[in-house]
Amino acid sequence: MDRTAHLNLDCGLELGVVPLPEAQVVAVELRVLAGAADEPAEKLGLARLIQETINKGTEQREGRALLDAFDELGASVGSWAGREATGFSFVCLPEFVERAVELHAEFLRRPTFPEDAVQTALALAEQEMAALEDDPPSLADKLISRQGFGPVLGRHPLGERETLARIGRDDLVEHWRRTFATGRMQVTAAGPVEPDAVAAMIERHLAGFGDGERTGRERFEFSFAPARSHHSKELEQEQIAICFPSAAVTDADFPVERVLLGVLSGGMSARLFTEVREKQGLAYDVHAMNDNPRGWGMIFVSASCKPDRAETTFRTLLREIDRLSEDLTEDELDRARSRIIAREETLADLTRSRRSALSYDLFHRGHPLSLEERIEQIRGVTADDLSRYLAGHPRDRLSILTLGPHELTDV
Amino acid sequence: MSTADRFHFHTLDNGLRIVTERMPGIRSAAAGFLARTGSRDEVPELAGVSHFLEHMCFKGTAKRTWEQINVDFDRIAADYNAFTSEERTFYYGWVRHEDVGKQIELLSDMMRSRLPSAEFDMEKKVVLDEIARSKDQLMHVAYDLHHEKVFADHALSWPILGHDRTVGALTRDQMHSYFEARYAPNNLVLIVAGNVDPAQIVEHAAEYCGKWPTGPIGPTRTAPATRAGTAVQQIERFNQQLIVLSFAAPSAADPMHETANAATQILGGANSRFFWNIVQTGLSPDASCYRLPYSDCGRLLLWGQTDPDKCEELAKAMQTEAGRMCTSKVDEHEVQRVKNKRRTSLAVEAEAPYHRLLQIMDDVDLRGEPRTIEQRLAAVDAVTVDGIAEYFERYSIDRDGFFLSVGPLDWPPVN
Repeated sequence: MDRTAHLNLDCGLELGVVPLPEAQVVAVELRVLAGAADEPAEKLGLARLIQETINKGTEQREGRALLDAFDELGASVGSWAGREATGFSFVCLPEFVERAVELHAEFLRRPTFPEDAVQTALALAEQEMAALEDDPPSLADKLISRQGFGPVLGRHPLGERETLARIGRDDLVEHWRRTFATGRMQVTAAGPVEPDAVAAMIERHLAGFGDGERTGRERFEFSFAPARSHHSKELEQEQIAICFPSAAVTDADFPVERVLLGVLSGGMSARLFTEVREKQGLAYDVHAMNDNPRGWGMIFVSASCKPDRAETTFRTLLREIDRLSEDLTEDELDRARSRIIAREETLADLTRSRRSALSYDLFHRGHPLSLEERIEQIRGVTADDLSRYLAGHPRDRLSILTLGPHELTDV
Repeated sequence: MSTADRFHFHTLDNGLRIVTERMPGIRSAAAGFLARTGSRDEVPELAGVSHFLEHMCFKGTAKRTWEQINVDFDRIAADYNAFTSEERTFYYGWVRHEDVGKQIELLSDMMRSRLPSAEFDMEKKVVLDEIARSKDQLMHVAYDLHHEKVFADHALSWPILGHDRTVGALTRDQMHSYFEARYAPNNLVLIVAGNVDPAQIVEHAAEYCGKWPTGPIGPTRTAPATRAGTAVQQIERFNQQLIVLSFAAPSAADPMHETANAATQILGGANSRFFWNIVQTGLSPDASCYRLPYSDCGRLLLWGQTDPDKCEELAKAMQTEAGRMCTSKVDEHEVQRVKNKRRTSLAVEAEAPYHRLLQIMDDVDLRGEPRTIEQRLAAVDAVTVDGIAEYFERYSIDRDGFFLSVGPLDWPPVN
């Protein structure tokens, strides 16, 4: 029986817990609802700089001593800065959970942002931008995201060179004061833990961090505009990316879209792999995925291929996007549903996956979904649902991007 | 649960080995076939055949077309794939436990691929595209250059993907001969982990694989000579310079294996010396250490990438840290921290059938039998400060290494 709990603590923090009595580890994420989209336009990159420097010194200890303290627990720690949130996660043995939460509270509440650490983070951000340009698929992702989602939701966490040049330690401190507080936090945990005990633990270490007022849960405004661009670059391969608006996670049709994406790109028998790779040998890598800011959705279709195959690959991608509303078979539908359900059921063995699914639900839906509910949603998707979805989501407004030596002529 | 209760071993009359691990508390199961062959088992003119063959095993059998293989994977598997390395080719699927029999049947069928001629040229285009893709990735270019130079004149020297010219010239008949010689049941291992009944797994294996004829055991591998030197590959279109310091290290089956892992983590893992003394000085966004453990040799690689104007400084910093490891003992706390983290990561891996599949594959291939999580942990716990000092006495990283530099600069000068 699913015993997932969702608690709203007095300190303003939202807590989700999946008790898994048999698990050997505990996985926890502390998510602050502030990311690249919350940054001032002239100082892009702040959220990530905070993520990189917040654990490099606290009022109690230096950064190295802090990481050593985590290592003493054997905790595997990680962090990320994204579009609308910044996350700090750890996995550890059950007996060390409280100490790991305490250490997280220490750097989240009382960071010192040492000047040398800030300057290092700025220098590394510049270098990471250079490294990103050496990674064509990541560079194409960055460029199509900016083109499709626009100037706010399309921001890259690294920021821009000119905005990083305007950022100093005081900016980090000010932005941290503005965005880091329990009213803007969601904490999720999975493992052999009880919800009430986790709630008490969180209150012990985080109560009083900010005024407790709930913020950071609104969606950002966004409007899609079709576009086309080519970014010339000397490469062995051409990167092709296409995106178009889709359902938000909270839309009733979101499970339908998941199944539809399964038909398009869910495995080796899906349409993109079959038509682009298997039948024509055009590209090694071809895929589609959705990306969902809070309250919005976008489907991205991508392939990379040799430049002399770019025109054919592009036409095939367009054809498959268009063909989604044609000749869908029950067998395809059944396969897409089966694969998603198999994935849900097998991933449920992993404590980290259970925690991750809960974080996703709290962020997007504001409440958890049980594994059974998640599976039932997929099982209930019919061919009629797909037809209705496709009629309601026309794919006639596309954003198209190419990166490489060949500019498409047939767009 | 004891080792005997956890693992089950069986060998069919034709030589196919079956290793099963029962994982209590897990609902799913993973199954995979290990083919004990990889790029180092190729001849130079067939470089890339192992990897291309891995692709072709998805392309058709006596029972299934490529479409049917793809459909059948998608019907049952949450995750599936295959990969080729220098020494192995591995095919796997992760499924709900009730589907493990179907997964074994499908993988078994693929191990008897027809290598259909009609699909050969089409798949060759895909593999050539994969090779092109690798040339756009700085780390991939550096990895291939490393093997070409460090293992020169040895079978480990060519890329796993092969070269454009060797893959381009490869014929279906050449691949078939290689397949016949390397995919005999006595050169394969079926590995299964998860919520499974070992007796039932053996029944499945006997039904699907029992009639395969025993074949030849592949060519004996010879260990490469150790090399020192410098190599530079200038590629102006990249922004960053990647520097690699490569040193001889123990093989995967060496008793010093865990000591080498711990030393690697202390020097270039998370919260390591490289992290604090190189990354956190702003010199490099990515400086770390990796081990390349093979069955009869190994390398320790110190990697760092940076802006071209900082590469000399980065190289010096990496060499300084390498030198410190050799001239003074590591701290007891550094060793203990590595052990603590490993304890957690082993607990995480213990709940993932796919991870266990890979660990068992390593153990079976290199040690002859798998180890439980507890045995792996005991090996980690046995690492000591003195053991690491002894390691660096035997495998020095302050001399006799190979220095590689890839990126926009033609640096350093090579005599």
